[in-house]
Amino acid sequence: MTNRKLLMGAWNNLSVNLMRSILTMLGIIIGVASVIIMLALGNGAKRQVDEQIRNLGGNVFVVFGGSFNSAGVRGQAGSLQRLTDADADAIEHNISAVVAAAPELRSNVQVISGNLNWATNVIGSDNRLLVAQNWTLSDGREFSAAELGRGAKVALIGETLRRELFGAGEAIGQTIRVNKLPVTVIGVLGAKGQSARGDDQDDVLIMPLDTVRKKISGINRANPKAIRSITVKVATQQDMPWVEEEMTRLLSQRLKSAGNDIPFRIRNLSEIVETRMQAMQVFNSLLAGVAAVSLLVGGIGIMNIMLVSVTERTREIGLRMAVGAKPGDILRQFLVESVLLCGVGGAIGIVIAALTCLVLAQGFAMAAVLQWQVAILSLGFSAVIGIFFGYYPARQAAGLQPIDALRYE
Amino acid sequence: MASVIRIRQLCKQYGAGEQQVKALRGVDLDIQQGEFVAVMGPSGSGKSTFMNLIGCLDSPSSGQIILQGEDVSQLSANALATVRNNYLGFVFQQFNLLARTSALENVMLPLLYSMLPDEQHKHRALTCLEQVGLAQRLWHMPSQLSGGQQQRVAIARALVNEPALLLADEPTGALDTQTGLEIMQIFQALNRQGKTLVLVTHEPDIAAFASRILMFRDGQLVSDQQQTPEDASDALLAFKQGAAS
Ligand SMILES: Nc1ncnc2c1ncn2[C@@H]1O[C@H](COP(=O)(O)OP(=O)(O)O)[C@@H](O)[C@H]1O
Ligand SMILES: [Mg+2]
Repeated sequence: MTNRKLLMGAWNNLSVNLMRSILTMLGIIIGVASVIIMLALGNGAKRQVDEQIRNLGGNVFVVFGGSFNSAGVRGQAGSLQRLTDADADAIEHNISAVVAAAPELRSNVQVISGNLNWATNVIGSDNRLLVAQNWTLSDGREFSAAELGRGAKVALIGETLRRELFGAGEAIGQTIRVNKLPVTVIGVLGAKGQSARGDDQDDVLIMPLDTVRKKISGINRANPKAIRSITVKVATQQDMPWVEEEMTRLLSQRLKSAGNDIPFRIRNLSEIVETRMQAMQVFNSLLAGVAAVSLLVGGIGIMNIMLVSVTERTREIGLRMAVGAKPGDILRQFLVESVLLCGVGGAIGIVIAALTCLVLAQGFAMAAVLQWQVAILSLGFSAVIGIFFGYYPARQAAGLQPIDALRYE
Repeated sequence: MASVIRIRQLCKQYGAGEQQVKALRGVDLDIQQGEFVAVMGPSGSGKSTFMNLIGCLDSPSSGQIILQGEDVSQLSANALATVRNNYLGFVFQQFNLLARTSALENVMLPLLYSMLPDEQHKHRALTCLEQVGLAQRLWHMPSQLSGGQQQRVAIARALVNEPALLLADEPTGALDTQTGLEIMQIFQALNRQGKTLVLVTHEPDIAAFASRILMFRDGQLVSDQQQTPEDASDALLAFKQGAAS
């Protein structure tokens, strides 16, 4: 019996029982579609995280000022303002693998331009922050040494700020009011998009450290040179562990802790993002697992229907055997039917998954990245399900004695 | 004349212990090429069991069946399938056509499992359908055919692989008298062309068209007689006139 005839026979048989075939395939369709969609969502999320890590610049530590700890009450990180500009310089100069160590001060401000206003955070820092945080300039220039030195009233603004305050108009050279302080915009930062936490990284305003310190946040009398944090960019991933050790040693020397106070904290930003990603991947694998179970249930549905079909067609099997069909011919006939059911079901599932991913991506701005390898794999997988769950009923059919099959009522 | 089939001490039991039924208890028989054998006997005498055994649809408990010189009593399931496909054609009382499958495709079914090249399948099937007078009904489904027409399709299907032996278990059992006679006319014509035929019937009127009559009782062959067959066409004509007057 030729393969073509085998396939055509199976196709005929499935189309004769069209409704049943479709209902049987439904399990496989749903199973395959949900596995692919889950994997696509997982894949999309992973890409997003990868992008965020890339935006972050990778290989970044943030050193926060420590927290006081008196009588068991622990303050917030940074509540103890003992970090200074000099600590940032020390890190940059003493640790060879540090590319840039940027001191940072932050303050909540209201920014006004004409009749438009916008609430944001101002960061007081210098050009090292651009290196450490991977900023590019889409327009204008960096701070000059003179501006940094004298605490000039100049600012770099993020894309969001530019859009909100200036829209289509020119930003460079314009004066904005930051908490009433008139400040000139000298540069616009290239867009970065959302951060790992989901907040808008382009909602940013950078001014020279001294300007923020003296004119906006106000000087800390106990420690006039106090800063909130230091963003440290390290040359390569491999350098991260020893740089962290080295920084700890260096800062421990420089910032003597008093009592139970923790003078500083070092956080690895990419690690945070990666931890989030791992959690997300676990969640996604879980969902894919659930989807795989539904595929399994679909397979059992196929087996059930194939068994019913074998029972229903026992006389047909007997007749085919009576006119010369070998057990192997009968086995193949039922196996091909079951594989065809699963294969067509799998193909429909792939189409549905592709459409769903499209709708999710376009309509709901969800990252669903369909991989063709996954599609092919799941098609193969459904064929395997067809063989696996079709084999038992097919063998059942092939094992019949011709006369018993013919006599079957 | 060569024996198409030789049967020696053929026995068949069903079940075991208390419930055991001895359906055949030692049958010896030779059937020559070109014979038209009618198998008769009361219900339960083992006629169908006998047919199923020589049709290789079931295997004997003991004894030998030698078909075209080959002992088929101990063959594997695969080898038996090949024997059925090459040497045997079977016609059933209930026609056993595939539903929702055209007459032509039903007739081509045995060729699907044969070595005959695909291109010749249709031609072969057409020739056989012509032989049974159904050349005009190729694409009809079984449900669109009368009982007699369905049985003709079944006969064409049994002929399509040019079997050495054509077996029919009560082929007229489900048909009215006239249709039964028409079917017998076809069988007789096939026999006159040289086909070897074995046909089970419990109607003496049907057995009259055969050249040899076997009588079974309680699983044994109790009589084996040659006879001069009646002509089925004459019988059909006579029946039609009787029905008309
Ligand atoms: N599959 C079977 N299982 C058990 N007993 C059977 C089976 N087939 C036939 N028999 C018994 O074997 C005997 C012969 O049956 P069968 O060959 O069908 O007779 P006939 O066709 O002459 O009416 C009967 O007693 C019947 O009950
Ligand atoms: Mg019988």
